[in-house]
Amino acid sequence: MKNLKIKKLLAVAVAGILTVGLVACGSSNSDSAKSDTASGSDAASGSYRTLDEIKEDGTINIGVFSDKNPFGYVDENGEYQGYDVYFANRLAKDLGVKVNFVSTEAANRIEYLQTGKVDVILANFTVTEERAQEVDFALPYMNVALGVVSREDNVIKSLDNWNKDDSIIVISGTTAETYLTENYPDIPLQKFDSYATAKEAFQNGTSVAWANDNTEVIAFALQNKGYTVGISELGNKDTIAPAVTKGNDSLREWINSEIETLGQENFFHKDYEETLVDTYGTDYEDSLVVEGGKTE
Amino acid sequence: MLDLGIDVLFKGSNMLRLLSGLWVAMKISLVSILISLPLGVLVGALMTVKNRVVKVIFRVYLEIIRIMPQLVLLFIVYFGTTRALGWNLSGEVASVIVFVLWGTAEMGDLVRGALISIPKHQFESSEALGLTKRQTYIYIIIPQTIQRLIPLSINLITRMIKTTSLVLMIGVVEMLKVAQQIIEANRMTSPNAAFGVFLIVFILYFLVCWPISMLARYLEKKWNIA
Amino acid sequence: MDIAFMTKYLPMYERAAVLTVKIGLIGIAFAILLGLICAMIQYHKVPVARQIVAVYIEISRNTPLLVQLFFIYYGFPKIGIMMQPETCGVVGLAFLGGSYMAEAFRSGLESVAKIQSESALSLGMNRAQVMRYIVLPQAVSVSIPAFVANVIFLLKETSVFSAISLMDLMFTAKDLIGLYYKTTESLFLLVVFYLIILLPVSLLGTWLERRVRYAGFGD
Repeated sequence: MKNLKIKKLLAVAVAGILTVGLVACGSSNSDSAKSDTASGSDAASGSYRTLDEIKEDGTINIGVFSDKNPFGYVDENGEYQGYDVYFANRLAKDLGVKVNFVSTEAANRIEYLQTGKVDVILANFTVTEERAQEVDFALPYMNVALGVVSREDNVIKSLDNWNKDDSIIVISGTTAETYLTENYPDIPLQKFDSYATAKEAFQNGTSVAWANDNTEVIAFALQNKGYTVGISELGNKDTIAPAVTKGNDSLREWINSEIETLGQENFFHKDYEETLVDTYGTDYEDSLVVEGGKTE
Repeated sequence: MLDLGIDVLFKGSNMLRLLSGLWVAMKISLVSILISLPLGVLVGALMTVKNRVVKVIFRVYLEIIRIMPQLVLLFIVYFGTTRALGWNLSGEVASVIVFVLWGTAEMGDLVRGALISIPKHQFESSEALGLTKRQTYIYIIIPQTIQRLIPLSINLITRMIKTTSLVLMIGVVEMLKVAQQIIEANRMTSPNAAFGVFLIVFILYFLVCWPISMLARYLEKKWNIA
Repeated sequence: MDIAFMTKYLPMYERAAVLTVKIGLIGIAFAILLGLICAMIQYHKVPVARQIVAVYIEISRNTPLLVQLFFIYYGFPKIGIMMQPETCGVVGLAFLGGSYMAEAFRSGLESVAKIQSESALSLGMNRAQVMRYIVLPQAVSVSIPAFVANVIFLLKETSVFSAISLMDLMFTAKDLIGLYYKTTESLFLLVVFYLIILLPVSLLGTWLERRVRYAGFGD
């Protein structure tokens, strides 16, 4: 009891100190933002560069993953590759600017956008309501459905009536994690910070199942003997979309019209064939690709 | 059975990328330590003064740096300065600032410890010889303190090199991040590469940090006798 | 700041804090034990064991915990040893901390001039008495600052536990940011919990340092 009191007291004290600090920072924030950099942007939500400013500068900064093969990764020559990167290169080309790729993590994507250090994030960004409060999403360019893979001798076909001693593996920052956290809060999740470690752990038998994009789990079951996909479609289909800083309408609208135009030449099908086909095969092309921003 | 997947490192420029990642880590640590060293001596000296206000200020600084997770400091310096002041620091510069803040605090505490371990009679003798306070510090105290400190500060370099893996959170690509990129880029073709790549990373860290530690140990031995 | 968000995820942080402290303290306890053994072996120049200790110390100090954990967690199953992530965390911290603790103790032991223990022996004290009454009191007072710094350093090193899927404070914060994009709130809670855990340790250290300064030169 006493412990709790001390804890609360300390927390309050700290909160007080930090709030004072933050408020002080906050007030100096609006002053300096007005005086220099942020022309035409609204200081309260952080600064961003409008479409014209990016064009004028000649370089667009795009945040992508550098270790999520086949969406955003770096090949053996140090070049960025993948489905997201292919799209990013096209965006830059049609805008008539050079592209500067910034390597982002799940935990810092948002901060990069809010501080205007990148203009667009194309990092396998799943659209959710909560996230839409913090960033502005453009039209989607991919679907994502979830799947669950498990051992052949203990196939998981449903997530209902879950045995609480069993856990499911997810990778932190993925759609699967978001979905399970929202819809099955009682299932214990074993969270990993990279694909390689999650895979090792799953094969070492620490959890009964692994939830991920269904293309991923299907590819895993194909490659590894003794595993099978018990659930190939979990929940509603989610979408992946580019994100821009909240309020950056000029850039978002341009990206939207670009996605619509690209739909006429079936750009994202081509993107799939260039970047995803080696990993997922052709079977998923139509269910994964969103062309022209139109789902269903 | 013994497929460690080290071969992925020989694809394209992978090995070179790994080494340049190591260089990034070393550069950040070395620059930071070079700046922290004099600052730390200053802070450490100030921490031993009798003035309560000065003492409290530096005590608070030390506690904050010690307690704050480095990740938070990195976020504050990298993203916070953009939000609050509109500065656009590069990831490397932000890392150096955080490591200097950290290094100065650690070094300051070491200096303080070294200073108060210098016997009082040294101060008294130099006073008796007619040296001013300033002269005492410059000619008697500081040279001895630095001698005690160099081995300790060299150890701090290795700790910094080992901590640089955090800077990937502000977009700086150092060795561990490159390792992750290589592992993930080859996850379909060499699914077991993680082990081999991490083994090489382990060895590379050791090869860089070990000589530095040895140098510290050598200097420590050499000066201990003097 | 979004207070509702913070209250909602407070229990998650509390669980993470308990885990961080639990694994941290057990790991540090083993590190102290390991460090003491190593320091004693080196101080008494035990043959063979001394060389092994030297090799261990160099490997442990010159490689990052993150990579050490990787080998403990993913390497050991390959040779047939399965461990829970919690056990791995403890083993990793003990492995890393053992060398840092050994160095702190060694510098303390070596700071006591040889002439002192020789004099004590010639006064008729036995080896245990020399250790207890002459060497240890002085050694401890020299080691305390490095010891406290090590404890704090090791507690903060728990922040790389995400690599072995342990939900420590750092992983919890990073995970929540990735899920809900509430960076400020998540990091604020992280700082508060680190403060609650580390401030007492740091203050206790300062107090201890004053308390045990037997060999009081200077101040």
